[in-house]
Amino acid sequence: MRAPVVYRALLHCYPAAFRNEYGNQMLLTFAEQLGEARRTGGPLEQAALWVHATLDALTIAPKEHWHVILQDLRYALRIMAASPSFTAVAILSLALGIGANTAIFTLWNGVLRSSLPAVHKPEQLVMLSNPDDAGMWTGRWDGRTDGPRSWLTYCEFEQLRDHADSFSAMMASQSSLDNWQVRLEGGGWEEVSGRLVSGGFFQVLGVGSAIGRVFTTAEDRAETPYAVISYNYWQRRFGGRPDVLGKTLTMRKTALTIIGVAEPGFIGETSGQQPDVWISLRMQPRVIPGRDWLHDTPPVKAMWLNVFGRLKPGVTPAYAEAQANALFQAGLESFYGAAATGERRREYLDQRLRIQPGARGASETRHEFSHSLTALLAAVGVLLLIACANLANLLLARGAARRPEIALRLSLGASRGRLMRQMVTESLALAALGGMAGLAAAWLLHGALVRMMAESNPSFHMSFALDPLVLAFALAVTLAAALLSGVLPAWQVTKHDAGATLKEQGRGGSLGRMRSGRFLVSLQLALSLPLLVGAGLLARTVYNLQRADLGFPAERLLLVRVDLREAASDTARRNGLLGELRGELQQIPGVRAASFSELGVFSGGESSDTIEVEGYAAKGDNDRGSAVDMVGPGYFSALGVPIALGREVLESDHAGAPKVCVINEAFAKRFFDGRNPIGMRITWVDEDKRTAYQVVGVARNARTKGLRGDVEPRYFVAAAQSASAVSSPFFLIRTAMETAPVMAAVRKRIERVNAAIPILSARTIEERMAPLTAQDRTTAQLAVVFGCVALTLAAIGLYGVLSYGIARRKGEIAVRIALGAQPGRVISMILGETIGLVIAGLTVGGGLAYAASRLITSRLYGVAPQDPLTFVLAAGLLVAVAIGAAYLPARRASRLDPMAALRQE
Amino acid sequence: MNPDSLLPLPTAVFHILIALADRNRHGYSIMQDVAARTEGKVQLSAGTLYSSIRRMLEQGLIDELAESPDPSSTDERRRYYRLTRFGKRAAAAEVARLNAMVQQARATGLVPGA
Repeated sequence: MRAPVVYRALLHCYPAAFRNEYGNQMLLTFAEQLGEARRTGGPLEQAALWVHATLDALTIAPKEHWHVILQDLRYALRIMAASPSFTAVAILSLALGIGANTAIFTLWNGVLRSSLPAVHKPEQLVMLSNPDDAGMWTGRWDGRTDGPRSWLTYCEFEQLRDHADSFSAMMASQSSLDNWQVRLEGGGWEEVSGRLVSGGFFQVLGVGSAIGRVFTTAEDRAETPYAVISYNYWQRRFGGRPDVLGKTLTMRKTALTIIGVAEPGFIGETSGQQPDVWISLRMQPRVIPGRDWLHDTPPVKAMWLNVFGRLKPGVTPAYAEAQANALFQAGLESFYGAAATGERRREYLDQRLRIQPGARGASETRHEFSHSLTALLAAVGVLLLIACANLANLLLARGAARRPEIALRLSLGASRGRLMRQMVTESLALAALGGMAGLAAAWLLHGALVRMMAESNPSFHMSFALDPLVLAFALAVTLAAALLSGVLPAWQVTKHDAGATLKEQGRGGSLGRMRSGRFLVSLQLALSLPLLVGAGLLARTVYNLQRADLGFPAERLLLVRVDLREAASDTARRNGLLGELRGELQQIPGVRAASFSELGVFSGGESSDTIEVEGYAAKGDNDRGSAVDMVGPGYFSALGVPIALGREVLESDHAGAPKVCVINEAFAKRFFDGRNPIGMRITWVDEDKRTAYQVVGVARNARTKGLRGDVEPRYFVAAAQSASAVSSPFFLIRTAMETAPVMAAVRKRIERVNAAIPILSARTIEERMAPLTAQDRTTAQLAVVFGCVALTLAAIGLYGVLSYGIARRKGEIAVRIALGAQPGRVISMILGETIGLVIAGLTVGGGLAYAASRLITSRLYGVAPQDPLTFVLAAGLLVAVAIGAAYLPARRASRLDPMAALRQE
Repeated sequence: MNPDSLLPLPTAVFHILIALADRNRHGYSIMQDVAARTEGKVQLSAGTLYSSIRRMLEQGLIDELAESPDPSSTDERRRYYRLTRFGKRAAAAEVARLNAMVQQARATGLVPGA
């Protein structure tokens, strides 16, 4: 008879409890029905019975499962309500774990993974420029940058847009987000963030307008004084009023008419940034006057644009790349054709474009934050494991308290599977509540995280989006937490022989259960150590960074950048203006010294040149370059950099005097290596133009670019004698007092000298330096918070396990006390048992920390990844907390009243 | 518990209550009785039957007998069920509910009156 076997298999669709209770009856009944059908009916009736049985398995069985789930849930909620403090601790620790994970994941997903919001079919977008880089390079290509081109020039973009027929459409946008001073009709100057974009910008991204219209390709054919604003800016600045259309927005001297508001949710082509205003690229000479970024004038190219496109159907990226490069090469040939020959020409032409997926858009932050975010994601993963271990421990301890009940149910015939199912449902219900609280925590944490990230990158912006991936992640984390924390205790608690448990009820702890609890505590301690060590290393990094020796005093220094292009068109007048401004600023009361330089300090700008150094034989092409800055008289004394040898740049080094320069020690070491540099010549080479400067001084190394790495070789030419004119210099103003009142005077004086000089930025050295360490500070703060949470959870776990263990061993301890054991002896006995746990945890944790610290090596500064002091301090902290957590229950045990305890037994 | 809270009774449950009205029965006997009374129109499947029995036991509509009422039966695997007092009250409540509906249907002329 095969029928019963098949029917029994069908019965496995039902919950085990139902099957155990009614399976045999159902089989019996079905067999009789089948027999009846055989006797009276035909094969059709028999077949009908099988169909019914199958339908039952598909419809009735799920209902029975649902019934069991509801029953378990009701039971779980009753149990949770019965012990509110347990429930609160469990939900809180899960909420911390899940919330931290979801928040970091949201950020990780937003910065590193998700597509551009509101963009039509983003997966079809491709980029012809470097997605991870933003900025601008003006000047000739000097062949030092290898690999694909980062940004394109406007002419290169036009060439590709008009001739590359692999693309259905192409657009270009300014790679860096600008802050502009604008004036709205009838209002004062205010700052907006904005970007210049080509006419096809909105069309290529597939984005329309909320009201009005967006740019069209017509905007590429002529200067059109229009602006499109973002939905966010419209709401924020104009309260979403439709009469914004037609309003004018004045930038410099140009009035721009607002013609439309972009779709809600659209932020543009760069993730992590939210521009307020878009202006047509063709308007560049009007809104950023004094510069020409729209034409390639040999040998100078202005590379500043990101280029996006969509491929025509059926065109492969490889084909499109080949075609784009052919056009690009032809453009380079004709551009450099006349300007360069030989080796130089070959170098210039060695450039190419790479087509990359554009769905995620461009992003400066992606690259900058990717390492930190991935490390943080790993850290919160560990935190979640600790939270799970903690909850598992709590569940174990509570499960032990319920052992009599469970033993009773086992002996009454409940199956172990049924009880485990019920206990896992309990942890699922806890996790579900923890997950919901975790989402709320994630939302809170996300805001804080974005604010912290914006410190290092002020244009960074990201809203908390619960996209399906984030939700799926939160759900997966919650489920994982429930299973990780629920299965082991359920297994342990239901394992014991029911009869034995009932008999020995209340006596001595079960060794097995204690073993799991102790294992979990060791695990928590082991996992906490890498978090603590990481937090320690990062905190020390921040400490070191903030105390890094810059080579000059990093206080009472103002950095004010001005634009001289409009006020003075030629070099001679600019030099005169610079001198006048410097003189004016030096007279401000409270100013000790003032000078200027083209690059300023920590401005992010960099400039380098090809040079020949007297008496130095260059080892190949890469050995001819050095960083350079153009500095005003008294630059070194204003900045506070000591001169080691010779003199600094003085007022006597004017345009007509012999050309001089000062080098830093790094330059002297690299190019003069032991020789006396004073009097030697450094020749700036540009094709056939050569300008020689005589070294008159060596300055001590100073950090003006970044805090990490070695100070690079740099030479400083007198600004008045430089081959290229200073156009937007930074004034360095050293004050003898607080900088705030001086700043106001500085603005006034500059306006007095010439009202047409715009101030591009005015910051203190502290403000300039804050972004340099912001990301490290953010990471360190988070690591410290996570480390503390981990430590707290581990302490709760240890406390819980010991308290429980002592409660179970009351009898034994009471006997010891009754036999004369002193309280101190009881305490040391219990602490002694703890030491084993701690040593096991520290040993494994030390190994984990050793491995983990190597992963963050690149983020460290002034501290080795295996720094013994940090390891010892972290381990010491862990031991101290562990002993603290163990001491409380131990002391309680030592004060046990033996008579009362024994009577209870 | 108030039997009204269980109304309307699912068809299968009501049929089982009716089948157990005259005597205690085992599962297959309930099935046969329902089929006979409805002239084969209602055929309870094993799944429906025992899922309903499980619920009715929980709700206290029926009881399981401790031992077989038929001493001649050699089959000890069979389980027998009987109606409880609460089950009778629930059946009565369901009948009253159905009656009221039939009367309303007649009163409005939806169906011809008796």
